[in-house]
Amino acid sequence: MTNTTETMNNDVTGPTPGQILWSKILGHRGLMFGSIVLLIIIVMAIFAPLLSPHDPYHQDLMARIIPPVWDARGSWDHILGTDHLGRDYLSRLLYGARISLAIGGVAAIISGVIGTCMGVAAGYFGGRVDNCVTFLINVRLAMPVVLVALAVVAVFGGSLQVVIIVLGLLLWDRFAVVMRSATLQLRSMEYVTAAKAIGCSTKRIIFSEIMPNIANNLIVIVTLEMAHAILLEAALSFLGLGVQPPTPSWGLMVSEGKQMLLFEPWMISIPGVALFILVLAINLLGDGLRDVSAPENRN
Amino acid sequence: MKQILKGAGVFALVLAASGAAQADKASDTLNIAFTKELENVDSFYNSAREGVILQRSIWDGLIYRDPYSGEYTGNLATDWTWVDDVTLDLNLREGVTFHNGEPFDADDVVATVNWVADEKNGVKTQRNVNWMKSAEKLEQFKVRIHLKDPFPAAIEYLAGPVSIYPNEYYAKVGPTGMGLNPVGTGPYKVVSVEPGKHFVLEKYENYHKDSPKGQPKIGHLDIRTIPDFNTQAAELFSGGLDWIWQVPPDQAESLGAMGSFTVANESTMRIGYLTFDGAGRTGAGNPLTKKLVRQAISHAIDRKTIVAALLKGNSRVVNSFCFPSQFGCEQDVTTYDYDPQKAKELLAEAGYPDGLEIDFYAYRNREYAEAMLGYLEAVGIKTNFKLLQYSALRELTMKEGVPMSFQTWGSYSINDASASVSQYFKFGSLDTTQDQQIKDWLDVADSSVDPEKRKEYYSKALKRIADEAFWLPLFSYNANYVFTQDLDYAPTTDAIPRFFQMSWK
Amino acid sequence: MLVYTLKRLGLALLVTLAVSMLSFALLYLSGDPAAAIAGETASASDIEAVRHYYGFDRPWVVQYGEWMFNAIRGDFGESYYFKLPVSQLVSERLSVTMILGVCGISFALLTAVPLGVAAAVRPNSFIDRIALFISVMGQAMPSFWFGLVLIVIFSIKFRILPPSGSDGWQNFVMPTVVLGYYAMPAIMRLTRAGMLDVLGADYVRTARAKGAGEFRVMFKHALRNAIIPVVSLAAVQMGFMLGGSIVVESIFALHGAGYLAWESIGRNDLPTVQALILIFSLFYIVFTFLSDLLNAWLDPRMRVG
Repeated sequence: MTNTTETMNNDVTGPTPGQILWSKILGHRGLMFGSIVLLIIIVMAIFAPLLSPHDPYHQDLMARIIPPVWDARGSWDHILGTDHLGRDYLSRLLYGARISLAIGGVAAIISGVIGTCMGVAAGYFGGRVDNCVTFLINVRLAMPVVLVALAVVAVFGGSLQVVIIVLGLLLWDRFAVVMRSATLQLRSMEYVTAAKAIGCSTKRIIFSEIMPNIANNLIVIVTLEMAHAILLEAALSFLGLGVQPPTPSWGLMVSEGKQMLLFEPWMISIPGVALFILVLAINLLGDGLRDVSAPENRN
Repeated sequence: MKQILKGAGVFALVLAASGAAQADKASDTLNIAFTKELENVDSFYNSAREGVILQRSIWDGLIYRDPYSGEYTGNLATDWTWVDDVTLDLNLREGVTFHNGEPFDADDVVATVNWVADEKNGVKTQRNVNWMKSAEKLEQFKVRIHLKDPFPAAIEYLAGPVSIYPNEYYAKVGPTGMGLNPVGTGPYKVVSVEPGKHFVLEKYENYHKDSPKGQPKIGHLDIRTIPDFNTQAAELFSGGLDWIWQVPPDQAESLGAMGSFTVANESTMRIGYLTFDGAGRTGAGNPLTKKLVRQAISHAIDRKTIVAALLKGNSRVVNSFCFPSQFGCEQDVTTYDYDPQKAKELLAEAGYPDGLEIDFYAYRNREYAEAMLGYLEAVGIKTNFKLLQYSALRELTMKEGVPMSFQTWGSYSINDASASVSQYFKFGSLDTTQDQQIKDWLDVADSSVDPEKRKEYYSKALKRIADEAFWLPLFSYNANYVFTQDLDYAPTTDAIPRFFQMSWK
Repeated sequence: MLVYTLKRLGLALLVTLAVSMLSFALLYLSGDPAAAIAGETASASDIEAVRHYYGFDRPWVVQYGEWMFNAIRGDFGESYYFKLPVSQLVSERLSVTMILGVCGISFALLTAVPLGVAAAVRPNSFIDRIALFISVMGQAMPSFWFGLVLIVIFSIKFRILPPSGSDGWQNFVMPTVVLGYYAMPAIMRLTRAGMLDVLGADYVRTARAKGAGEFRVMFKHALRNAIIPVVSLAAVQMGFMLGGSIVVESIFALHGAGYLAWESIGRNDLPTVQALILIFSLFYIVFTFLSDLLNAWLDPRMRVG
């Protein structure tokens, strides 16, 4: 994974930076694999209504738990079989991609906004602001995430909104930590001190000098936290306190399939594998972006 | 993988090694799994089914109801007579001793009754005991129980939840001590208790010979709490467990198909039902205050198919708000068959030709609720589904009210309509209907000692509930028991497994 | 060093105070505890009586103060559900979770550090790829899925490990692997990155140039420095693990503190949940505090920050 970056560094008079970046990206297998898979899942989610063979909410209690087509009892009518209420598994899986992506995406954005604001403020202003933010990060890290999420969801009742907000409010710590140290490094850079010297406003310095330079780090953490949020939602659903039915969330499908684990293992395997592939793709994408954007970390 | 496992094995060696208890007929030990953690073994201070099960094995009541024939016979009492509506005399059995050697006599009965009847002592399920005022000793083996008001179901309660405790021991240790080291006169005595997770019982050799419960046959009971069904099944496969229950229907079917276990199914007294906010607590004039809407919902749900496909076993559709075997449970009431077309028409007639939207709450059996909301969706009723913890839903219902909820009720396994319909339609905080007429009728039925009159008034109330579709009774539950083929056991409709009736084949 | 220690201690105490307030507030909001205690058959007046008895009708500041004062003395009140002292309940259950946590983190360290070192010594080799593969899998596989798969393989198919219980060491093998596996990727990556950094550093090159043996270079010079951030990470992971073992404990029916916490949330057992959140947080706070001190001792430069 690191061979491409190593050769690039010695090349001084080669292609333009843009070209270098592109060849790095294309040469990075993990990154390519991750982005292609993620892209496919996103396309599936967007075009779910066109791709789904059935209505994902249509139930038929007389056609419950039909195995997928590769099983002797399966049929082409329900390629991935039906669930415990006779709903088409493939259609639910396709619609479920929307839910998982929404949970991961929105939770990561919420926590990203919170964490970045705190981190940048701490790094840029330093002093009391920094102390205060560091303190908040410590408090946040000391709280057991799963327990607190469970307790909050138990109080407010599980729904897509509640789960997304709870996860968004709980997962900002990594953003704050990384953004703080990245900003701290930038603050003493010449171009920032120069901007200060010529009297640029704080707002302008933060948005046009600092933010563009920490965007790389930000994207990497967004991917990590997205994956984290998706897995946490699945764990909450597994413990019975996640997204509410009939919403076809993959976490919920896993928890429903769990009931029949020993007898109809495909029921938990199909959404489980989907979840695994999605999280894997997002992680590979994140790792790849880190490799490509920050080669110094790898040497 | 192997590498990882080897590594893990090495660290695990640090821990104390011990052999797992050998299960089965050979060691005369029945290994049992509970799903839920039991809070306290003291039968007056828990409200869990697991507690009832232990109660029946560890303690005896004054009276015993045969679970198969339904007949009452004496247990710690030999016979009883009603002096008047509120006074009951009982002659007690002689020669019974508690597990700790304390002999049983009237003092134990008097102490137990006076303790539990006192509200200050905070017995968890007040209803089980709050009909008694006090007890007095007439002779060493004769007691008198005073009731607060006439209470026709007294004998049923004395045969059920009212266990008799040793007076000296209980005075010394109290509920906490009793929970940790339970002492009774029952067929099994407790060897050890790890609160919530592990209970070991053994046959009580001195169990009184004339007990209607019969003599215990299996030597040892080893009960562990295992929350996850898959883990329970894995233990069953590998021989670590011999008896599990509350097995979900699909899994029971699959286990039965394997052919290596006995799968027994029996109906239980628990019924499922939908509550409607008829009294308009979530907003005056909300759709559910309209009879036509409630009837539309009743016609929209295919209860028969839900029972056949999801509950399976011995479950039945119920139309009357009580369990059919309960005294006074009128069966001849208005029924609502599955008829989506009619449901749509009723909705249109009620002023909702384009359907409507309702918040729908539940606390258990998510899949049943989900099936119901699928049916409602099909006739144009959109639901916002919310699954809450039991206590949270209960609180919400009491404080703000909920438009519609899926609830269940087990009647404390009491075979009398006073334990079902009267619990919810007498203006309590969970009465979402608040119908004066029904309350008046139920008051008559609950306090009368004339069986015919009681029947008549329960019937009136139940018919009105069905006519007005105040609530929609859905189905009765069933329980699946899966156990080793070496075991001889037939479950009962009250869903209280009695270990003393089990034996090896 | 003393100033640094005192500063860190002050921060730790402040964090503890904040966490205790949050956990108290969180559960104060979680519905009516009086209704939960009174149970299924209580009437409105029963609930009022319970509310008064337990003192829920007093201002929350008073309730918090009392709770905190007692908690400092190790008294967390009585569990609403079990009617037993919370401290007794928790200490019983905590031992299982602690054993699990210690085993889990040891498993993670003993597999992740060697793998990370091997991967760093030979970047892009077969072993590096294996290490990467394991860590990527670990991050993407839901723990409940992994746990159930292990049960199917080792308890049902081969019947060599018991699927549940906490009686002997055999019971802890699978939970340890599942829990430890989730801490592995991060530790391994950090070890690998740290080793790569250190191996390129001047003093390692110097040591090599002076003719020190490869083994000596690796362990005396390189690993010792690369391990510093791993120590902090392991402390953090250990804290997470104790709070995150809920899923694992429920699958393997280990009656530990995580499972107790989950069940207590469902039962609205306020004192138990409050105590557990506080205790889990304390573990984290203590671990990070100790690791900071250890780091400062190993690397004097850190004492400034």
